[in-house]
Amino acid sequence: MELQERLNEVFCQVFDDEDIRIAPQMTADDIDGWDSLSHVNLIVAVETTFGIRFTHKEVLTFKNIGDLLNCIAAKVQ
Amino acid sequence: MPFNSLDYFLFLPAVYLVFYLVGDRARWGVLLAASFGFYAALKVPYLPAVLALVAVTTYCFGIWLHRAQAPGTKRALLWGGVAANVLVLVAMKYLPFLSENLRAVTQLFSLEMQVPAVRALVAIGVSYYVFQAISYLIDIYFEIEEPEPHFGYFALYLSFFPKLLQGPIERVGDLLPQLKAPYRFDYDNMRYGMLLFAWGLFKKMVLADRLGIYADAVYNDVHAASAMQLVLGTYAYAFQIFMDFSGYTDMALGTARLFNINLTQNFNSPYLATSVADFWRRWHISFSRWILDYIFKPLQMQWRDWRTWGTALALVAAFLVSGIWHGASWGFVIWGGLHGLYMACSVFYKPYQKKIYQKLGIQKSPYLKYWQMLVTFHLVCLAWIFFRVNSLSDALYICTFKFLSAGRQGASLLVHGFDRGDARLVVAAGALVALGGLLARHQRAQGIWNGSALLRWGCYNGLVLALIFLGVKSKGTFIYFNF
Repeated sequence: MELQERLNEVFCQVFDDEDIRIAPQMTADDIDGWDSLSHVNLIVAVETTFGIRFTHKEVLTFKNIGDLLNCIAAKVQ
Repeated sequence: MPFNSLDYFLFLPAVYLVFYLVGDRARWGVLLAASFGFYAALKVPYLPAVLALVAVTTYCFGIWLHRAQAPGTKRALLWGGVAANVLVLVAMKYLPFLSENLRAVTQLFSLEMQVPAVRALVAIGVSYYVFQAISYLIDIYFEIEEPEPHFGYFALYLSFFPKLLQGPIERVGDLLPQLKAPYRFDYDNMRYGMLLFAWGLFKKMVLADRLGIYADAVYNDVHAASAMQLVLGTYAYAFQIFMDFSGYTDMALGTARLFNINLTQNFNSPYLATSVADFWRRWHISFSRWILDYIFKPLQMQWRDWRTWGTALALVAAFLVSGIWHGASWGFVIWGGLHGLYMACSVFYKPYQKKIYQKLGIQKSPYLKYWQMLVTFHLVCLAWIFFRVNSLSDALYICTFKFLSAGRQGASLLVHGFDRGDARLVVAAGALVALGGLLARHQRAQGIWNGSALLRWGCYNGLVLALIFLGVKSKGTFIYFNF
């Protein structure tokens, strides 16, 4: 749960909106301003916050926030 | 065999009849044979051979990619498969352009190198199915899709005739399951498919080809045109290319519907876009999705440490590829480069956009959206100039406003071959197409449509009469055939 909260903070910061509440099943369609252009800003912010590095394959195959969360969890362990 | 030819009006019912009569097990064979026959009807003997070559090569690489275990082997196979496809595309489309420019370079530097002149080949459809083949291999590499074991179905995915010559560029996951599904006669699909086909034909023959008369007259002799004619000619071209391509897409989607297949919708009111990025979400959607997923995103990821600059650079690179895809000419390259530049600038501008609107006090203005549409449309039109011109010197003549000193300001707004009657017809047909698009989105309108046989049959007959009496018969080819 702590992981999700930290990720939530990253989302709020990247999309400049304090009201964002993320959930695993949410996708880019659910968050205002999350498009293909801003996606990489999110990825870089996540990488910096958690001190991890994603591969191309990982980033290109995330289907929702749940996939992103699982990938972060696997990397920070 | 273009969709707007008599041959196709005979071909399509014949294919449907055979497709309907044979069982599900043989239907893929009927569609595959029809697709190759459709392609062979272009009377360019090497084209079906190139299609078969791309199908066999991509099929094999797909299977090998799936079987390979080591990451290095997988990567090598992906690049091998993609390179084979790109090589086919270059050989078919770009050799004359490359040789011409290489010769210019050798002359410029007085190098003693012999660069042979290369004859241009007919490459109708190649860039569409090669892009599909590449997307298939990348999707297997990323394990988004499994390779198709049945060669017949795979070849049909690449060659399915409604989308063979001009797209939409389909993903394997979207199309293949539909091609494999058992066929059941569906009256609504049949009715909707035929209506969509006739609607597309109306857009093409009544609107696009008529607008084309104006755009051609202006652009085939830009030095003879007045400033207003150049402006109107550019608007005419913007709507000609839209009606031409979306009309074609409607015919492709309508044809596919007869076989219970839903192809990707390529357009969503593109000239109502409020930014260039928005335009690309609405224009040639299957193509822009391809460029976004397979060129832009990987480059953006690769250059992500450069932050905004990396994104901007990836956008310019992706749109240059998009320009070159349309054809081997500098006009297309500049067109793509301009769109790349628009998008790159917007990446830098976006963080300030909200603040600027707030400062000006217009962030909540109901007119803001219309202002954005107007600006976007004109940015798109500016790029269309390079897409349409016959030579770069013509583009330079227009963009440096040389026409202002040409002294033709008093000339009529009409051009040779395009009279007042044509102008009225364009306005009326344009309004009808816009209204049709608007009504199609409203459920209530659909309810009325489905409930009234009189209304439906009135419209069907009106459409056929309009095609017979108002269609331009001298033209015919579709603009996007050339790409």
